[in-house]
Amino acid sequence: MHCRRPAALLGTLVGAALLSGLLGCSQPGGDSTRIGVITSLTGSQAAFGAAHKNGYLIALDEINAKGGVLGKKVVLDFYDDESKPDQAVQGVSKLFDQDHVPVILGSYSSESTKAIVPSVIQRQVPLMIPTATADNVMDSKSPWVFRICAGAGEYARTTVEFLKSSDAPKTMAIVYENTNFGQSNMRAMSEAAKAAGITLVAVEPYEAKSPDYKAVLQRVKQANPDVIYFCSYLLDAGTLMRQAQEVDLNPKYFTSAGTGFAAAEFPTPKGAGKNAEYTFSVSQWLPESRWPGAKEFDAEYVRRTKSHPAYHAIEAYEALQVVAQAINGARTLDRATIHEAIRNLDLRSTPFGPIKFDASGQNRHPVMITQVLGGRYHIVYPADAADTKPVIPTPPWSQR
Amino acid sequence: MSSMRGWKPWAFAAAVLACGSLALVARNDYVLQVLFRIVLFAGLGLAWNLVGGFAGQLSLGHAAFFGAGAYGFALLSAASIPRWVALFLAAVVAAAFAGIIGRIVFRLRGPYFTLATIAFAEVLRLSVTNLKLTGGAIGLSTPALFSGRSLWGMLYLSAIALAVTAFVINVYVARSRFGYYLMAIREDEETASAVGIDTASYKLRSLLISAVLTALGGALYGSAFQFIVPDSVLTIDISLQMAIVTMLGGAGTLYGPVVGAILLLGAAEVFKNQFQESHLLVYGILIVLVVLFLPEGVVGGLQRRFGGR
Amino acid sequence: MIVFFQACLNGMLTGALYALIGMGLALIFGVMRIVNFAHGAFLMVGMYVSYVLFDHFGIDPYLGFIAAGLFLFLFGQLIYRFLIRPVRDRSDFMQILMTTGIALILTDGAQLIFGADYHQVNIPLVNRTLRFGAFAATAASMLSFVIAAVLIAGLYLFVTRSLTGRALRAIAQNTEVASLVGIDVTRIQGLSFCLGIALAGIAGGLLLPALYLFPSVGDDYTLKAFVMVVLGGMGSIEGAALGGLLLGVSESLTSLYVGNQWALAVDFAVFLMVLSLKPSGILGRQRA
Repeated sequence: MHCRRPAALLGTLVGAALLSGLLGCSQPGGDSTRIGVITSLTGSQAAFGAAHKNGYLIALDEINAKGGVLGKKVVLDFYDDESKPDQAVQGVSKLFDQDHVPVILGSYSSESTKAIVPSVIQRQVPLMIPTATADNVMDSKSPWVFRICAGAGEYARTTVEFLKSSDAPKTMAIVYENTNFGQSNMRAMSEAAKAAGITLVAVEPYEAKSPDYKAVLQRVKQANPDVIYFCSYLLDAGTLMRQAQEVDLNPKYFTSAGTGFAAAEFPTPKGAGKNAEYTFSVSQWLPESRWPGAKEFDAEYVRRTKSHPAYHAIEAYEALQVVAQAINGARTLDRATIHEAIRNLDLRSTPFGPIKFDASGQNRHPVMITQVLGGRYHIVYPADAADTKPVIPTPPWSQR
Repeated sequence: MSSMRGWKPWAFAAAVLACGSLALVARNDYVLQVLFRIVLFAGLGLAWNLVGGFAGQLSLGHAAFFGAGAYGFALLSAASIPRWVALFLAAVVAAAFAGIIGRIVFRLRGPYFTLATIAFAEVLRLSVTNLKLTGGAIGLSTPALFSGRSLWGMLYLSAIALAVTAFVINVYVARSRFGYYLMAIREDEETASAVGIDTASYKLRSLLISAVLTALGGALYGSAFQFIVPDSVLTIDISLQMAIVTMLGGAGTLYGPVVGAILLLGAAEVFKNQFQESHLLVYGILIVLVVLFLPEGVVGGLQRRFGGR
Repeated sequence: MIVFFQACLNGMLTGALYALIGMGLALIFGVMRIVNFAHGAFLMVGMYVSYVLFDHFGIDPYLGFIAAGLFLFLFGQLIYRFLIRPVRDRSDFMQILMTTGIALILTDGAQLIFGADYHQVNIPLVNRTLRFGAFAATAASMLSFVIAAVLIAGLYLFVTRSLTGRALRAIAQNTEVASLVGIDVTRIQGLSFCLGIALAGIAGGLLLPALYLFPSVGDDYTLKAFVMVVLGGMGSIEGAALGGLLLGVSESLTSLYVGNQWALAVDFAVFLMVLSLKPSGILGRQRA
């Protein structure tokens, strides 16, 4: 057996090269501060990872234009989780154990975020969650975990409050995609609806990215609910509404858990167009929000990407802004001090609204209800933020 | 198969010790995690090699066993069965799956066999995604097998133990009558059957062993990340990776899966840090180049070039 | 009962598009025995071609699909010459490996060129619902059904009547004999690969208005295409078309009576049943 040597030699060579590649850690010089970011640059959630990255980069440029943190330039250390939870866990290790970042932002999805929570707690590094809405990411109650966005429970509660404040409908159908996002929102709404005495007459899961949901909608039609709550992540929102028209499905309210139903293009002719009219959605943020800076962020985003941002981008933007302010407040890169500074932060006015974290690390971000009227989103609830009155009930398709 | 016979136990032991000692010198958990992944997939590649390499049955459904291991471990532990018992029960569950799947797929040949294995794994993934019992798409928490600061060191050593077990089984199979029968089936199943080899039984046995090893790998993986979702342990990506690691390194060779895992997973991580969004493109080009220029895999190709076979 | 028939109708409309995808793979895999795991990625490329034409030049996807088909025919030529021909005579698995690599390159390449964003086209045709008594269908889905039907019929005639088509079937039955009687096997194989890829591109163009677009959109369709080909029977073009229709109807009925989330699982379960009970497929002539 003389043939093993080349293989072994090659193995050794490759192994050595790779190890040196992995170990050759790129610790920057003393003139910059690294902040770790985990997001989904590739894989099924790459579109949102890209929105994240845009948001982070806008914040980065603003921060550095103002002199960075602690007088040093900020450098973002991105780790791609490939839209996979285990890769996100590896990212915590890369960013913290090797690159020694003092704080980590991420990840994009709820799955990946849930997966990294044990790692950040074990390492005692502050984690700022920008966009994960599933409420199980906050289950740990660890002081190291902060979340800037509102969660699925808040979506459901606000929607139910809104329904009660209008004409208190009796029955509801939930249509959700069978992913983490869909299932989390479905569970949250089931609880909220039951607590409010609304009867669930249909709970219909579906497989995302299909061209045909008419059978799902037909089943919902047979149950004849007052309200439909869609938990639809992607552009399936457009397909669902188009086919609701085809099936002639006419509930009093089309409500939804944001994302697909809250995307900037959804009410425009490029999106679902007229089919989007009258749909309600929860929303974390809109370019039209009253918060100062929202419009400027929108303008800058459009300048860079030629498209309007959804709330994922500003949540990433604001997450980085908050962390930078906290580090500046802490006057050190010591993790415990930074984490105290985040905890004590009380920002009255940011483009994402006021920011203050409660004892469990959750930012009490207000959730709004919007309705598409005349091809754009209008805020209809809560009353103090509303810019118009909702149209209820939704006119049937035959009378539109 | 020349490399099967000439392996030297002392050289092997030295290599294993060297690998193991990396756990002590590794500067941090990140390096350990990458090493863990490489060694785990080397072990999984060796497990796949039993079916795909020796018996020539190109399964792309091994994610079913990987997932059965991970989910079995998580669910059994949740039912307050001791962790180490749960680990081995999970492997038994996977073996049961293998028994059922094998009975159907081994009647098929060539691409039909491959497609059927994919279909089985997909049915399992979709079921786990849609059922409440398995936590749906939200996923399940998985208990850690180890605790404390040396968690990743212990996981890495366990992965080495798994890979060594798989390697020794490969060596044993390569030298035994059992392995000889498997290779006969690979070369020409009709003839093998005609000379009285019970092909169905031997194929099934190789699948059972392979499934048990794969399931142990899956459980180890689940416990390493302490959280599993269908898309992380039951995805076709896992099946593909096991097969590609082996085929790139050289199917049917002892060192192929090991070299393949080092090359592929190590490269993937380096690429990711270097190329960011374009790393899958680079990864794809790497695969295409190997298929074009090293069709027998890296080890197979080098053996031909330098081995003077 | 109306609901049942409406679901069957919906299934047929989706199934016609599936049929195009399946027939493309039937040419490549069923006839030429090239195991093409990049079929969905080619479909995705077709969608992007059609999308770019719509977005930049305002060309309706119901014309753009032709360009998508032509583009992919030429693109397929390149892929065949440099990447597929070298592995044509290698094992199935080397082909799987090669085409998996191609799929990765195409998918990540699309992301680099077009970004990871989701895109959709919204044309009036898609929103116009035609009602026939109790039944309803959008004008767009009717139109794409007709286009698909014409293409399917055309391809069937091409394969059964034309000289090239007959040569193609001869190769499918026995490559060696075919080359002995003077058929240029390499040329015909290349041609059928390109035709198959072009069909995937056309299907992509027609799918665009009904779905939306992102780099990994094709992933789900690769496996489905294999299911259709095997359902219909290896080597049978019309079988793959039938497989596509059946898949569409089965998904629609599963969604109605069991739940949409199980539709894909039922696809695979049916596939496994056919494989174990009648491996030659519904219209298959050869044994697996």
